[in-house]
Amino acid sequence: MQQVWQEMSLELDKQKKLTNDIIMKMTQEKYSNRFKTISVYETLGAVICYVMAMYILSNFSKLDTWYLQFCGIFTLLYLTTLPILVLRSLKRIQHLDISHKNYKETLYAYTKEKKNLLLLQKVAVVGSFLVMFSSLPVFSKLIAKKDFFAITFGPSFYISSLVVLLFLFFFARWGYRSYLKITNSAENILKELEQND
Amino acid sequence: MIKEKEFVKVIKAHEAIIFKITTIYTYNREDQKDLYQDVVFHLWKSFDSFRNEAKISTWMYRVALNTALTHINKVKRQPFPVSIDEVVVQQLENYDSSFEEKLKIMYAHIKQLNILEKGLILLFLEGRKYDEISEITGLSTTNVGTRISRIKKKLKEQISK
Repeated sequence: MQQVWQEMSLELDKQKKLTNDIIMKMTQEKYSNRFKTISVYETLGAVICYVMAMYILSNFSKLDTWYLQFCGIFTLLYLTTLPILVLRSLKRIQHLDISHKNYKETLYAYTKEKKNLLLLQKVAVVGSFLVMFSSLPVFSKLIAKKDFFAITFGPSFYISSLVVLLFLFFFARWGYRSYLKITNSAENILKELEQND
Repeated sequence: MIKEKEFVKVIKAHEAIIFKITTIYTYNREDQKDLYQDVVFHLWKSFDSFRNEAKISTWMYRVALNTALTHINKVKRQPFPVSIDEVVVQQLENYDSSFEEKLKIMYAHIKQLNILEKGLILLFLEGRKYDEISEITGLSTTNVGTRISRIKKKLKEQISK
């Protein structure tokens, strides 16, 4: 194997493909990666959350019972806190200092940030179910001006609620899995490092 | 301007290192090109610190391996700001078919190793001394030796299967 490697290295050293122009372009232009793509979605999501939060906040006085106010506060907290935490976590991963750390330190830092991101995603998945229930009464009161808890619903409401719940479940599962895909076997390697070094 | 010239010179002199690292850590040409660009980008960002402290090879291996580590599984196929066609990377070309076959087998076996093992075996095959591997990876010299022995054994088993 070593012989094949050396032979290949000799051949590669003979080949000079990069031009000055290409090298400098690579230093200036940013590439696209999955974390950046996720950041775009998360930023967009955060903007939507904040618009909704602003709407609730500016109409908060219309929530005239303690349970509607409770639902309003819970929804507000979810809409304002979680997007910031997720975006901050993504930013930390993107701006990991890989220039000055050694391989082991980078592996530690990277895994730590990924674990943090995954934990936030877990919280977000559970939270999204709870927020669905807390936001319904709030928006029902603010938009339709009806107390959700005093309305008698027909079967169509329960059917559509079930559809929304199912959609939310599969959407949350898809989101969670895509994060799981990113968090790979690094944690096992981390354990291995701790055991032997 | 002087900095740019120096950087270009360093990259040109060591482009094979970047090529080999990006080949080991990726599974297709597109990802390799993306990682290649990412490595050059990070090398440029840390070029000032290199000029002040480290040996060229140590600095290059460290930054390239760290970039590969954080790059894994996060590549998304998207239009690139730098056109793919412009980012020319070396090809393993003009080899005879038997050597090409040997190369393929070698890469296939290395790619089966985990992320840490890949880095260690690459540095070993590159002829780096245990001290330098220790400096790049942050593992103790003894640990580097033990791990490389284990990896060799693992590769032997893989190949003999």
